[in-house]
Amino acid sequence: MQIDEVVWQVINRGHCSFKIKTISQNFCRNEYNVTGLCSKQSCPLANSQYATIKEEKGLCYLYVKTAERAQKPKELWEKILLSKNYEQALAQIDEQLKYWSNFIIHKNKQRLTKLRQMLIRIRKMRLKGFKELIPIKKKAERRDKIREQKALVAANLENAIEQELIDRLKNGVYNEIMNYNTKAFEKVVGQNQVEDEEEREQQEQEEEEEDYSDEELIFDPNDLEEDDEEDQEDDDEEDDKRLFQKQTFNQLRRDDDEVKDVKKKKPRVKLQYEEEEEVEDRKKQQIAF
Amino acid sequence: MTSVPLVSVFSADDSTKVTAKHIPLPAVFQTPIRPDIVSFVHTNIAKNRRQAHAVNPQAGMQHSAESWGTGRAVARIPRVSGSGTHRSGQAAFGNQCRKGRMSLPIKVWRRWHRRVNIKQKRHAAATAVAATGIVPLVLARGHRISQVPQIPLVVEDKIESYEKTTDALNFLKRFGAFEDVQKVVSTKVVRAGISKQRGKKYRVRKGPLVVYFNENAKLLKAFRNVPGVEVVNVTRLNLLQLAPGGQLGRFVIWTQSAFAHLDKLFGTYRYASVLKDGYQLLRPLLTNPDLARIINSNQVQEKVQPAKTTKVLHEVQKKNPLKNTKAMDRLNPYAKKQRAAATAAIKANTKGTKKIKKNKALKKASRAAFNKVSAALNDATKAAVQEEQDIKVKYFSVQKGAAQAE
Repeated sequence: MQIDEVVWQVINRGHCSFKIKTISQNFCRNEYNVTGLCSKQSCPLANSQYATIKEEKGLCYLYVKTAERAQKPKELWEKILLSKNYEQALAQIDEQLKYWSNFIIHKNKQRLTKLRQMLIRIRKMRLKGFKELIPIKKKAERRDKIREQKALVAANLENAIEQELIDRLKNGVYNEIMNYNTKAFEKVVGQNQVEDEEEREQQEQEEEEEDYSDEELIFDPNDLEEDDEEDQEDDDEEDDKRLFQKQTFNQLRRDDDEVKDVKKKKPRVKLQYEEEEEVEDRKKQQIAF
Repeated sequence: MTSVPLVSVFSADDSTKVTAKHIPLPAVFQTPIRPDIVSFVHTNIAKNRRQAHAVNPQAGMQHSAESWGTGRAVARIPRVSGSGTHRSGQAAFGNQCRKGRMSLPIKVWRRWHRRVNIKQKRHAAATAVAATGIVPLVLARGHRISQVPQIPLVVEDKIESYEKTTDALNFLKRFGAFEDVQKVVSTKVVRAGISKQRGKKYRVRKGPLVVYFNENAKLLKAFRNVPGVEVVNVTRLNLLQLAPGGQLGRFVIWTQSAFAHLDKLFGTYRYASVLKDGYQLLRPLLTNPDLARIINSNQVQEKVQPAKTTKVLHEVQKKNPLKNTKAMDRLNPYAKKQRAAATAAIKANTKGTKKIKKNKALKKASRAAFNKVSAALNDATKAAVQEEQDIKVKYFSVQKGAAQAE
């Protein structure tokens, strides 16, 4: 009724749902195939006497199929646990498959070896830890980058900063600075800045009030005195805004270089509130005066 | 031959329980597997379900188009008569033309159906039934039968009285057939192509085929709604169901009475079929088709002439005897002894000489000596060079002096 030869002819020439054809080779998708290739010798369907090794949770099992159970698919495969010792396992294979065809015995041993090597590798990786490779998704990366930029623009930072500064002014953070004792102011400023004496002198000469906000809101006596300063103030404002921007985005970098750079642009005193703590300190100092 | 001439009948309620043991297998299951017959019959029988269709006979021809003939600098294809519209003067009628009729328009009187010899049809059916009893063929076809207790699966007649689909489902689950149904469910896809607009929206796989006998059986309705499952009466076994797509090995579930009826249907090798008038099961060409086994059997090998040893002129790859000792030995058997003698002679010659053991002191001394010598050499060369230079200087100064003098 069932003869392997006939079965092989039908499967091979006709259609087998496990067969995968590639240009160079034919593979077998059947889970019980020893070699993974589609050939008469290694076809688990076309051989009524067959054996495979399968791995389950780190243990290797020998699955054996004989002609006697050919009609009972549920009981078809006999599952034999192999020893964890490699050599003993090989001996077990020899014992179980005694007098079987050399091909089957050899392939099973090969498969056992391969599986054991794989298990060793898995173990090693688990113990030593391994770098999990995550692929860079170009599309996603590109998309996120663009979205970041858009978010940056959408955040309207300049406006936010302006508001913040105005609020601070309202809150009276800069209150004292209006009518300032220049020397005292110098001292305070000087603590936070590394500068040459020349520059200091320069600053003293050209020192002026900082008016960060709308001129409508606050009356700046200095404005009346010197007209030049108005422009300077605006520039100051922008510069300060820029500075503030830098600070917030570069995570409050206390860069002296930055200070110097800014200074290079304009030969004036720039107040740099690099951290809010400093402002409070200054406040205290101001109050002291 | 690995045949199971005996089959167990399972209880419908309990897949582990067997209600009847050792029922002989109907002879149909011993029929030779003939995929060629099945393939031929299937391709023809599959055409019999077709409905006639045709293209509108007037399609593309409803013009009074005429060819303009030659001399007008246009192709000679018939052109639409008239004027006042884009269509006028455009090509018409030809299969190559836009809006033209197709070449060889389909006619209703196309030969839609094929007749196949009854005997062939019967042989095909028999083979298909036989193939349902061969596990690898059923597996190869793609059915999930790894949990089924037995192939062919024969169940007591109780399932014929199932009315509820739940009963049917539970039955399938009990016998490991549900995996096949699950496969059908999970692989249901929307069909590609226009057919989906023509009432064939889904492509559904084939699941188990349930074969019953009693005409009053209610299981038809019970199994009707289970996806993939088909139900058929034994007397009306259909090749299109037994070997869908011309592929042998459908997963079939038989009821006991259906199974018993097969002998009457197809007959045995002892007597012809009762119900198929004059039909005798196909006899195999070879009773034992395992050629390899036959050739290697003792009986054949005894009679077979010994294999002729082909004369080998030389080895596949020529080895140089002057370099390859084995090749040399093959040509000149005495070479081995010669070599041995030679090595012995060398040994004899070098017997007296002691192997010089370099010791450190010796090394040191020799190195010191070498350095001394090399140093001396260096000095000597330096001196020589210096001397030469002096001479040169002298010479040139002399020359200068001579020149100046001149």
